[in-house]
Amino acid sequence: MQNKTFRNLFMLPYALWIIIFVIAPILLVVYFSFFDINGNFSLTNYKNFFTATYLQMTLNSFWYAFLITVISLLIAYPTAYILTRTKHKQLWLLLIIVPSWINLLLKAYAFIGIFGTHGAANRFLEWAGIGSRQLLFTDFSFVFVAVYIFIPFMILPIFNALDKLNPSLLYAASDLGASKWTTFRRVIFPLTLDGVKSGCQVVFIPALSLFMLTRLIAGNRVITLGTAIEQQFLVTQNWGMGATIAVFLIIIMVGFMALTSIRRRGV
Amino acid sequence: MAKKPIIQFNHVMKQFDDDAPVLDHVSFEIEKGKFYTLLGPSGCGKTTILRLIAGFTEATSGDILFEGKKINHVPANKRPINTVFQDYALFPHLNVYENVAFGLRIKKVKKADMDAKVKEALSFVNLKGYENREIAGMSGGQKQRVAIARAIVNEPAIILLDEPLSALDLKLRYQMQYELRELQRRLGITFIFVTHDQEEALAMSDEIFVLNKGKIQQSGTPNDIYDEPINRFVADFIGESNIIRATMIKDFLVEFAGKQFECVDQGMDPNEAVEIVIRPEDMEITSVEQGSILVTVQAQLFRGVHYEITCMDDAQNTWLVQSTKKVNIGEKIGLRFTPEDIHVMRLNESEEDFDRRLDAYGEDENNAK
Ligand SMILES: Nc1ncnc2c1ncn2[C@@H]1O[C@H](COP(=O)(O)OP(=O)(O)OP(=O)(O)O)[C@@H](O)[C@H]1O
Ligand SMILES: [Mg+2]
Repeated sequence: MQNKTFRNLFMLPYALWIIIFVIAPILLVVYFSFFDINGNFSLTNYKNFFTATYLQMTLNSFWYAFLITVISLLIAYPTAYILTRTKHKQLWLLLIIVPSWINLLLKAYAFIGIFGTHGAANRFLEWAGIGSRQLLFTDFSFVFVAVYIFIPFMILPIFNALDKLNPSLLYAASDLGASKWTTFRRVIFPLTLDGVKSGCQVVFIPALSLFMLTRLIAGNRVITLGTAIEQQFLVTQNWGMGATIAVFLIIIMVGFMALTSIRRRGV
Repeated sequence: MAKKPIIQFNHVMKQFDDDAPVLDHVSFEIEKGKFYTLLGPSGCGKTTILRLIAGFTEATSGDILFEGKKINHVPANKRPINTVFQDYALFPHLNVYENVAFGLRIKKVKKADMDAKVKEALSFVNLKGYENREIAGMSGGQKQRVAIARAIVNEPAIILLDEPLSALDLKLRYQMQYELRELQRRLGITFIFVTHDQEEALAMSDEIFVLNKGKIQQSGTPNDIYDEPINRFVADFIGESNIIRATMIKDFLVEFAGKQFECVDQGMDPNEAVEIVIRPEDMEITSVEQGSILVTVQAQLFRGVHYEITCMDDAQNTWLVQSTKKVNIGEKIGLRFTPEDIHVMRLNESEEDFDRRLDAYGEDENNAK
């Protein structure tokens, strides 16, 4: 009995934290979403959301988040694999992780410099004889920078999963006749799937709501749910619509979390 | 030479970086269908030999032959050899059926055949009906059997077992020793078994290789090795033994503890310095008058089946004796043994010289017995 009250006492700060910073904001967002721009209670926002503009935007957000996640994964998995095989793997890992400590904004500005009309990238293209071109404010540069920023978060969980893998399992697979590729397909990948899933979560979900990066690197070329929310709150001052988009964003995120957290038996 | 060896090592050397070689010119032959044991202390290179046979690592120099063909560079997945790993190495994401079927799936065996084979393999190791179990929920002994089933289901020419019983409790261990030996007889597959437990090696093997520091010290049947150890290391490693410095006066006569004894060994130089071995269970406690040597009891331990008695003779040699009779500490007793119980070892004799000497005098020795 006493133990239980004691434990509840310990739980209090965390419960408060969650109520104030997680539950209350979500409820507020849901609450705001039911008011139109004039402050009247209505469902207009929801009606508006299901128009072509917003659906297109949702699709856009999805598409870019998907692209960013897939490209990050394709680069991160082999990188993590090679890392686990190097001699000073922790050091190499650290070197890869370090850039993620730098403020996102700083990195974005650095890329504006690099991708600018007179930036390093264009100078290189000129030198290579391809000629300079518009790099900034394209969807290419947006995806490129986003992948650059997210990749450490993808590498880390995959690296940990690969590092934990018992090497004798790989010998066992080869012992039973599996080629390198079969070993990867039947043993390595399934056993690191949890790492891949958490990597995808930590990349896909923030990528879905990117807005600062979108603004800075992609200009008006890429409009996603993130930029739309920002626009509604700060420019149009239509809090209700902004909140509605946020509600859908939250629903999508929860859905994605649920989808990637389904655990297969026994693992 | 009756049969062609299935595996042959010719002066195989294995070295990591610039360290001292882990295997130092190891040569041996493995015959088809027998149960072999690699026995030796930790770090002597047992696992390394298995890894070389399985193909997980390559020899620094020397040849490894499979049925007469060199296989140094054949990758592990192309060798008809399967391994039971020390930590079982079962795939945690697959259930028992899928673990056992892993090799069959790679060979693209038909579903019906696969079902039948997996079932048969599981019943071989007494795990009928465990197909759908998850690995995580199994006991050590069950995991080990799955690992064995996973190996035998592929019908390999050789199965390598790396200390598969070391994680089990004593009772299960004894049971598995019987089951493994029985299984090997039924299947007729060549087993190469690694252990550092000498009792296990003696109980299970057709032939034992005793290893130390990357060299094969002695190979032979359990009886050969137990009764005629080639040197101090083997004598000491295989069972309890009394190893005493001695002098070989002439053939069939050896001197130790200040007395001369008749023995059955020969072929040494006159007055050569040697060591003799007498097993503790070969000595009998008698009265002072009847004893071959005279000793004073120093300590006594009850071991369940017998008493283990430590004594000292007048020349300050310590003797270990096993007896069902209880004695008193400080008492003077006699120890009796026959010429056959004394085994003489030359210092630094190589296995070839040892075999040559035994062969040369083999006839006589048989007569002596
Ligand atoms: N990859 C490696 N790099 C460097 N040294 C190694 C490597 N693998 C094994 N060794 C060394 O080789 C020696 C023999 O190792 P091995 O694993 O064959 O011993 P073992 O007889 O199986 O011992 P145990 O009974 O403890 O399993 C050891 O000294 C070990 O440190
Ligand atoms: Mg070992």
